[in-house]
Amino acid sequence: MVGLTEMTNWAVDLIEVRKTYGRRIQALRGVNIQVGRGEIFGLLGPNGAGKTTLVKIMTTVVRPTQAAGTILGRPIGHRGKLGRVGYLPENHRYPPYLTGVQLLDYYGALAKVPQGRRRENARRLLDRVSMTQWADTRIDKYSKGMMQRLGLAQALINDPELLVLDEPTDGLDPVGRRDVRELLVELKRAGTTIFLNSHLLSEVERVCDRVSILVEGLVARQGTLRELTERTVEYRITVSGGAEALRGKLAIAGATVEGSVVTLSTPDLGRVNEVVDLLRAAGVLIEAVEPRRFSLEDILVQAMGRPLGRAALGPAATPPRV
Amino acid sequence: MQFWALIVDAFRESRDRKIFWVLVVMTFVIVACMLCIGFEQDRVTFLFGAWEVEGAYYSPLSAIGRSHIIGLAVYLLVPVFLGWIGVILMIVATANMFPNLMERGAVDVLLAKPLGRPRLFLYKYLAGMTFVLFQAALFVGSTFLVLGFRWRVWVPGYLLCIPLLVLLFSYLYCVSVLVAVRTRSAVAATLVTLFAWVLFAAPAIALDTYEQFPGMKQDNRMYRTLRTVARIMPKTRDIPYLAARWTNAGVSMDIFPRTVMEAGLDEEKRAQLERAREKEHDELAKNPAFSIGSSLLFEAAVVVCAMWMFNRRDF
Repeated sequence: MVGLTEMTNWAVDLIEVRKTYGRRIQALRGVNIQVGRGEIFGLLGPNGAGKTTLVKIMTTVVRPTQAAGTILGRPIGHRGKLGRVGYLPENHRYPPYLTGVQLLDYYGALAKVPQGRRRENARRLLDRVSMTQWADTRIDKYSKGMMQRLGLAQALINDPELLVLDEPTDGLDPVGRRDVRELLVELKRAGTTIFLNSHLLSEVERVCDRVSILVEGLVARQGTLRELTERTVEYRITVSGGAEALRGKLAIAGATVEGSVVTLSTPDLGRVNEVVDLLRAAGVLIEAVEPRRFSLEDILVQAMGRPLGRAALGPAATPPRV
Repeated sequence: MQFWALIVDAFRESRDRKIFWVLVVMTFVIVACMLCIGFEQDRVTFLFGAWEVEGAYYSPLSAIGRSHIIGLAVYLLVPVFLGWIGVILMIVATANMFPNLMERGAVDVLLAKPLGRPRLFLYKYLAGMTFVLFQAALFVGSTFLVLGFRWRVWVPGYLLCIPLLVLLFSYLYCVSVLVAVRTRSAVAATLVTLFAWVLFAAPAIALDTYEQFPGMKQDNRMYRTLRTVARIMPKTRDIPYLAARWTNAGVSMDIFPRTVMEAGLDEEKRAQLERAREKEHDELAKNPAFSIGSSLLFEAAVVVCAMWMFNRRDF
């Protein structure tokens, strides 16, 4: 059995993960997620969706009610493989009496990193997260952003194969966020698998290969960013004027008019052409026709079962079983 | 590697607390006071001879004098300073070790390391005792040197007070950890531990009181229950007697000259004193293996219970 799972190419293969707190609160209701080796995977979802619970189950902080699958080819919680995982929790707290270097040495030792490599890694990582000058300062003197940088270095002290990050840019300024993004891309190039839990959609959009959207303890959407965002939400037709007079007819065709913009909430190209014909027949000059694709935000909002603002997409999508 | 990392961390954590330094300063004050006192053949000198009191009871040249000096250290210095004040301060100082460990954000990183919960718990438990080990070693070690160099009484057995103090602390620390794991509160852990200390001693004290009355039957249910409970509970009161036994300090009454104690005492008082002396002789004759073994068994049961709770917990 172990031999078979070792052969899987998934870095993370979670099958039917369930977690019930007490008897009533179902945080996770059968989550299935697969993350390929060497990819950056984003976990999205509204507050209370169960994202942090899932991350904590992967890192053995929370005990699952039911879980199967593997992390780096071994059952979840396998001690040997935990040594190959780096983890940055959300709202982490580190012993305030340690300096930056001492902290990295401490957590490196707990991750069974040999002393020589620990020292080398500590200096290299502190330099990588721009914390070298603070290396020997007690961490209770650090700002939140500095703590976050140190947390990242801590997660990398064991040269992990799998890096699990829970809100890694929390507390960082724009420059710090950019640094983190660059670091993630760098790590990906080096072959590290990254499991990123973040509520910052722009961040996820920029770095993730694939994402999963968790809603009420279930995977509502999962796929590559392209797969998720290729669908067109609506078309915007920019006209030179005169569309207001056609408001009634356009409404019948399912379009709305606002100034010089006619919006048609449909992915159906045939209907778009019908509206264009209607406008042209009335002598309205068309300046541009722009399809608007799904953004990650749209997908998230839709997955949560809410209409997408003006461009409601009809009935809310029911979370499919993956 | 992991155990050593946690030990070093625990030492750094304890060093970061004010209580740690309070105890260190107190140790140095006591050592300084001891250095000011000198025992000669026929007198005791204070402040390096500035003030003298005649009396041969503490002469380090006589066997009884040596016994008195050792008794002074074993029955007064160690129990009062470390056995009472020290242990209370150490309970307070270590009470937040597990609540700190279990704080959200702190425990997450530790549990994600290849350590395993039982091992993390046990290592942290043992690491928590480095505080008391350091303080006991500092106090007993420095007073051992004063006893030897200043008072000319070399008692290697006195160094056994170090493990004995760690043992005493561990009987109480297990309760502190259990409460801390259950409640995550340092205040609750401190209060319950202090209460438990009283509770551990209560059955033995009750038995002593019972036995003070010769007319009371010792085969009734209450007596038997008290005796059973006293056997199960950690024997915190045995620690000074074990220290006295291993340092050949004799009975505690010897630290005060018999003539001083008995001077002016009436018949009844003298009889009471004699009973107390007999009682202490009995205590010294107790089987240390049973005392320590049964106490450690109790401690192990509490630790297993706390570890089980720690293992089951979601953070």
